Amino acid sequence: MKFLEQMIEKMRPLFAPGRPLHLFHAVFEATDSFLLTPPDVTDGPPHVRDALDIKRTMTFVVIALIPCTLFGIFNAGYMHNTVNQVPGAGFLQHLLQGLRLVLPIILVSYAAGGFWEVLFATIRKHEINEGFLVTGLLFPLILPPTIPLWQVAVGISFGTVIGKEIFGGTGFNVLNPALTARAFLYFAYPAQISGDRVWASVTDWAGVADGFTGATSLAVAKAAPAGANIVEFLRQSGFSLKSMVMGLEPGSIGETSAIAVTLGLLILVLTGIGSWRIIAGGVLGTAMSVTLLNVLPEPLRLAKPILQLPFYYDLVMGGIFFGIVFMATDPVSAAATPAGKWIYGFSIGALTIVIRTFNPAYPAGNMLAILFCNVMAPLVDHMVVQVHIRHRARYLARMNHG
Amino acid sequence: MKIHRIKKGLDIPLVGAPEPIVADGPLAECITLYPNEFEGLKPRPLVKPGDTVRRGSILFYSKKLEALKFRSPAAGTVKEVVFGHRRALEKIVIRVSGADEVEPLPRFAAGQIAGLSREAVLALLLDTGYLAHLKQRPFSRVPDPKARPKSIFVNAMNTAPFQPEAGVVVRGHEAAFQAGLDALTALTSGRVYLCLPGGRPDLPPALAGAKNAEIHFFEGPHPAGNSSVHLHHIDPIRPNDVVWTVKAVDLVQIGRLLLDGAMPPDRVIALGGPGVLDGERRYCRTRLGSPLEGLLKDKLAAGEQRIVAGDILAGVQVGVDSSLRFQDSALCVLPEGRERHFMGWIVPGWSTFSQSRSFLSTWLRRRATWALDTNRHGSPRAMVLTGLYDRFVPMRIMTDYLVRAVLAHDIDEAVKLGLLETDPEDFALCAFACPSKMDLVGIIRRGLAEVEREGI
Repeated sequence: MKFLEQMIEKMRPLFAPGRPLHLFHAVFEATDSFLLTPPDVTDGPPHVRDALDIKRTMTFVVIALIPCTLFGIFNAGYMHNTVNQVPGAGFLQHLLQGLRLVLPIILVSYAAGGFWEVLFATIRKHEINEGFLVTGLLFPLILPPTIPLWQVAVGISFGTVIGKEIFGGTGFNVLNPALTARAFLYFAYPAQISGDRVWASVTDWAGVADGFTGATSLAVAKAAPAGANIVEFLRQSGFSLKSMVMGLEPGSIGETSAIAVTLGLLILVLTGIGSWRIIAGGVLGTAMSVTLLNVLPEPLRLAKPILQLPFYYDLVMGGIFFGIVFMATDPVSAAATPAGKWIYGFSIGALTIVIRTFNPAYPAGNMLAILFCNVMAPLVDHMVVQVHIRHRARYLARMNHG
Repeated sequence: MKIHRIKKGLDIPLVGAPEPIVADGPLAECITLYPNEFEGLKPRPLVKPGDTVRRGSILFYSKKLEALKFRSPAAGTVKEVVFGHRRALEKIVIRVSGADEVEPLPRFAAGQIAGLSREAVLALLLDTGYLAHLKQRPFSRVPDPKARPKSIFVNAMNTAPFQPEAGVVVRGHEAAFQAGLDALTALTSGRVYLCLPGGRPDLPPALAGAKNAEIHFFEGPHPAGNSSVHLHHIDPIRPNDVVWTVKAVDLVQIGRLLLDGAMPPDRVIALGGPGVLDGERRYCRTRLGSPLEGLLKDKLAAGEQRIVAGDILAGVQVGVDSSLRFQDSALCVLPEGRERHFMGWIVPGWSTFSQSRSFLSTWLRRRATWALDTNRHGSPRAMVLTGLYDRFVPMRIMTDYLVRAVLAHDIDEAVKLGLLETDPEDFALCAFACPSKMDLVGIIRRGLAEVEREGI
């Protein structure tokens, strides 16, 4: 380590103000603190500090995303090889094909997002925020594997600049930057991010396996004809509960496997990095609103079979589970009060179900539900804080006259 | 008697607590007093270099509150009177003589004290400067003698790391402690509360059986021993309320003053922290104003060390060339941690302490104790995680929102959220845990100052 330290110290003067490489000092600082923990000591009370910092916090979110990323890579390759009927393709071929499809998306996302992050850090003269490590990975995972790379770059640029940097960077943004990026692509270039034909990489639609339409389970469920038994209908289209939990199916790169998302959930909750209240609220909101739909009058349910779907189906279809675990829990754009977190999570679950069940225009409502709740979070918190203030006043009065 | 069980908070498992042994400190040749350690008092000297003083002679008084005088803790000659910026009195240095001549002060018998009038007690406290051992809430200032506190809280427990235990400082001064309590009853029309650590069968009878005070036990992790927590759970402050607080170690001094009729020549401080050598971490009986150099001589570990007066969470850094201040009851020494580690953001974390569950040590080394240093473990960032601070504040306070209100200079909101019930020290533990390395102690201090300046 001494050698590394000496090398860094030798280079440091080059990045000092007025020196040739000063323009890149933000990059130097980032590399420096990436390699070695900062030597800074506390400058006042408290004189000791906990070992956890934001760099490690963000790193753990990235670690929690690894199962989804790896599975997403495999699934993209698996879908490609299966649908295109590539002869003799096995585990390794799936993985390699998946890497070929997904890795460029991730790299472009990090490169374009990182560029803006560094640019703003340099201009604003602050350190590079680690938040972009998370955003840069979250964004590819909610994209279809067929997304054009230039759209990835445009999307992440919009998400980083408009969604985050113009507010002042990580910690100040109102909306989740990754979802802002996706929403931008969704409304600007709907052809490449909606419909049935983007969720699996297909070289020639004429030569696909029999019966494969490319539709996601959610699209199939929404299209179920009146009077159909929805669970049976899904199964005939190739989506059983088990297969959807597994996640080897068309969909956004990182969202399809409930197992991978659960692994991420465990990492986030066990390390205490992600708010379990938001996640629990989200799952509860989904379950309760679906159950409510399940008891609507029978004629209604027959006319719209998706209303009959049990809630655990809803939870493993589309991006809802991934969204609740990784997007809703972004602490900056989420509600900040304990009660607010429950309300916020619950609203996301419920709102997603409302959108996906009743709105024919948006196949999956999770993205819009989370963005909407991002906007509403300060209002929820405000109400919680007002109630808290009233409770405090009552407590003080009681203690002083009791 | 009531037991309060505090759940929120954290006892950092640290190496370096002082052993409960009181040793005599070295006799200093010169002592230094810092009149400017009390904020807003405007001290003016009443001695000049060359003057002979006795133990108990008046050295300086407060221009703000002329009845408030401060007296010498030792007999000798005034060596220096140092003025600083804008001729503010900075320090008074006294060369201690061998002969301990004493200025006599009013003396009371133990049975007499409880019957004293408010005026008599206040006059004595003002006349000796010992009123400054009390703190007025809100704002933690030297009490205003005109204010009528609705209650007085005696803090005989301190859960912050390496702080003197009341049981040890009261030892040998049991009567003085009770005398101090008796005197406090005269100062308030309300009650005197004595807050003691719960679940401690070794508590001396002088504490557990103290009279003329309502005893409350607090159990749980730090900050269960902070006065703000005691106030909040017993007699919370509303806007315009005034409460006085005093630490047991200081109350002993007040009691000694009353019983002896003279300024106490010494006081007890705790010396702890990983930067102090094994076997040297103990309590030390020494004189107010003693130079730290003498106190710490041959006791410090090798390497660069930081000396903190108070506790390592909320105390202040002091130089080794400074002296023991009026308000100090503990000195902690921490190694400065400038060492860099490879990729700290990803290492499993076997050999670092953290309250968070993202370190292996939190899971597998629950019983380990740690010698922490002053490394910041990261760089300051914007507030990102939410709801974390509340795990360390055992009061009905939403810390995130209180901090935000203060940062936004929204004084009304901050007061509604409980700012007046707090002291900066209450947020030191939150700041310890804060992954964004925010200066929460400073933020709350500035917030309180703003409310004080602008009025409630």
